[in-house]
Amino acid sequence: MFDGLKDKLDSFREDAEAAAEEAADEESASDGSDERERPDRPEPVDDQTEAEADPDTDEDGSTVGRLTRAKAYATGRIVIEEEDLETPLWDLEMALVESDVEMGVAETILDRVREELVGETRKQVDTTAGLVREALREALVEVISVGQFDFDEAVVEAESPVTIVFTGVNGVGKTTTIAKLGRYFEERGLSVVIANGDTYRAGANEQIREHADALGLKLISHEQGGDPAAVVYDAVEYAEANDVDVVLGDTAGRLHTSDDLMEQLSKIDRVVDPDMTLFVDEAVAGQDAVRRAEEFDDAAAVDGAVLTKADADSQGGAAISVAQVTGKPILFLGTGQGYDDLRRFDPEALVADLLDE
Amino acid sequence: MVLDDLGSSLRGTLDDLRGKSRVSEEDVKNIVREIQRSLLQADVAVDLVTDLSDAIERRALEEEAPSGTSARDHVLRIVYEEMVDLIGDSTEIPLEPQTIMLAGLQGSGKTTTAAKMAWWFSKKGLRPAVIQTDTFRPGAYDQAAQMCERAEVAFYGDPDEDDPVQIARDGLAATEDAEVHIVDTAGRHALEDDLIDEIEEIERAVSPDRSLLVMDAAIGQGAREQSREFDDAVGVGGVVVTKLDGTAKGGGALTAVDQTDSSIAFLGTGETVQDVERFEPSGFVSRLLGMGDLQQLAERVERAMAETDEAEDDWDPEDLLEGQFTLRDMRKQMQAMDRMGPLDQVMDMIPGLGGGMMDQLPDDAMDVTQERLRSFEVVMDSMTDGELENPRVVGKERTVRIARGAGVDESVVRELLEQHRMMERTLKQFQGMGDGDLQRMMRKMGDQGGGMGGAGPFG
Ligand SMILES: Nc1nc2c(ncn2[C@@H]2O[C@H](COP(=O)(O)OP(=O)(O)OP(=O)(O)O)[C@@H](O)[C@H]2O)c(=O)[nH]1
Ligand SMILES: Nc1nc2c(ncn2[C@@H]2O[C@H](COP(=O)(O)OP(=O)(O)O)[C@@H](O)[C@H]2O)c(=O)[nH]1
Ligand SMILES: [Mg+2]
Ligand SMILES: [Mg+2]
Repeated sequence: MFDGLKDKLDSFREDAEAAAEEAADEESASDGSDERERPDRPEPVDDQTEAEADPDTDEDGSTVGRLTRAKAYATGRIVIEEEDLETPLWDLEMALVESDVEMGVAETILDRVREELVGETRKQVDTTAGLVREALREALVEVISVGQFDFDEAVVEAESPVTIVFTGVNGVGKTTTIAKLGRYFEERGLSVVIANGDTYRAGANEQIREHADALGLKLISHEQGGDPAAVVYDAVEYAEANDVDVVLGDTAGRLHTSDDLMEQLSKIDRVVDPDMTLFVDEAVAGQDAVRRAEEFDDAAAVDGAVLTKADADSQGGAAISVAQVTGKPILFLGTGQGYDDLRRFDPEALVADLLDE
Repeated sequence: MVLDDLGSSLRGTLDDLRGKSRVSEEDVKNIVREIQRSLLQADVAVDLVTDLSDAIERRALEEEAPSGTSARDHVLRIVYEEMVDLIGDSTEIPLEPQTIMLAGLQGSGKTTTAAKMAWWFSKKGLRPAVIQTDTFRPGAYDQAAQMCERAEVAFYGDPDEDDPVQIARDGLAATEDAEVHIVDTAGRHALEDDLIDEIEEIERAVSPDRSLLVMDAAIGQGAREQSREFDDAVGVGGVVVTKLDGTAKGGGALTAVDQTDSSIAFLGTGETVQDVERFEPSGFVSRLLGMGDLQQLAERVERAMAETDEAEDDWDPEDLLEGQFTLRDMRKQMQAMDRMGPLDQVMDMIPGLGGGMMDQLPDDAMDVTQERLRSFEVVMDSMTDGELENPRVVGKERTVRIARGAGVDESVVRELLEQHRMMERTLKQFQGMGDGDLQRMMRKMGDQGGGMGGAGPFG
């Protein structure tokens, strides 16, 4: 995961740097601009309206006044201008989208980078590299590491039983993740009961029963077609009566376009009033990840997310999108179908890795 | 409320061309940019988007618009043709004995699709059987068995055997009298070499007439790599796109079709075995571009209406676009809503009426919640035929009478009337829109006996 993005970030840094250096050379040579061709990417189309609306724009369309530039140059500094970055920024946007970062989220990141870089002066002797790296880091950290908290501690410290409900669209891996987390908690000395709130899907009872048996976990389930809220509620009561530490409540997969099913999810949320709601999505998901994260968050407020199928050579952009729109952290990555294929998500390490640090 | 906001900027850009008869280079650049955005937001592979938009740009600049055609229609037709050309017709599925193997990522919808396709074949008068070779996923056997029971089709699986290849062989023999064999497989992805080897073995054991790649509509840019691997392993003869009842546009399928040089066979639009449709290019392209599709609308409405008890009335969604929108129409709409989705989505499927228009409406113009619907139903039961046909006659006195009859507060009656007025006003806007494009499209479709055929809505 994220390998593709990493390569592309590298090349963005080089390009932005080159563009800024080029601009500096131009300034000294007072030369015309030279558009570099990038044959296998959609072409940037310059955004006229933005330039027009900008009060700082002078008559030759430059965002930073010529005077500022000249002054900076005279004092041995150069100023990075928006147009110097246009091509690299467009390439960065494409790189993000190519990594499955949702377009709106990609634009947020671009805005941050642009904000950080444009108008920045630096001593000519410095390299631009440091600046670009910092700008990228700021932007990425801001979106990737939202709201991180110590999950283990939160679970240990909450009054038991701690009830966690899992939500998400069909087939993303909710049930499998519950099985994995069941083992995760037991390994940490916490007792677990699983509730099969999926009373809809064919074979759902058999699926989760097999997991529970394999892991030796207590399972509460009702007949197919039963009330999902009641199943999870029963499990909470069971946990209270038997001093169980953690209740993991499964729900049937649903698409956010079904008002009835989303209302049912809200009802589960109201009746069970879980300590935590974890939204599960898959790392292979594309642009739609944002939409569903939003809608699930609306129906039953999300406290964190799990991204599954991170082993499937995915681009990983969904992690960035989901974190950004929910404002809640990605807590775990699913990295395979085995019970131990679960990894804590570490945003700092990820950003560092992305930036080759 | 789910609005189709994707295509709205594309629509806006195109609408800027409405009055023009020639497109400038600048116009074309703007349109191409919006098309790129729409396609990227639909998860079409970046390189494919570049190819497509280059071709569109070149043709839009080079080709002369036929006389009498507006610049907008000219460009739209090029866009549409390029897309349909790339995506191709629906995969040919002969109605004869055959073996079909399903492959795809974990959770993409293979097992559900197996049951759906079996149901589809049985409706076509063939005897299908599903063979479940997934020995890995817990509950896979029971899931497939239950789905096949719902589809009322034959099923073979063996919960005690753990070799999928053996099950595949045994299954073919055990279901010998079936005409169509559909072989389900466990989910796997491109990097799982041993599982890729396994599906190659299954493929050799069953020698299917075609292998279909089952793909979630929401898949991102990974679609390229995944379909390449599956194609190398078993040869992808067609693609099934699932979960199209969500908001994902399914652009990954376009990538898969491009990568595997195949086409799309079926679409999955829900969790029950009936929620399957044969692929139809114009509707899919419309969805990718966020531009709406009338044919799909008509089919869905038809199905929904057939399932409603009101079958005696020949209510047609196109009536919505004609003269008056009565309370009766509203009630039909409400009753069909469960199956079709909310009115805004239905409207979105009509060419030219999609998100662009919807975006300009107040947020709740089309939003009728289930609860309100139910109370509206009760109110309408207390109204006379005349009042239902012409709600304007309902004044203060009648409101009191209706409310008493229905046992609801007068405010509910007023809300109903207000809701009706709002919907009516909205539909009026649609009726008045544009330069007759809509009417022309509808006429054209009428000419083709209701089908869009190869020409499509912009042809
Ligand atoms: N809403 C909706 N759900 C679907 C559709 N197709 C499949 N599903 C659901 O998606 C989930 C996964 O579907 P399965 O058929 O089990 O997928 P699979 O590919 O067989 O999964 P594995 O065998 O685990 O790899 C289930 O919850 C299905 O009900 C569809 O078209 N629409
Ligand atoms: N490769 C891989 N497969 C996974 C992962 N998590 C779940 N799956 C598979 O995805 C499919 C759907 O998972 P399931 O838990 O039933 O999804 P649910 O419908 O959301 O409950 C199953 O075949 C799982 O084995 C993961 O992290 N990696
Ligand atoms: Mg499940
Ligand atoms: Mg399956």
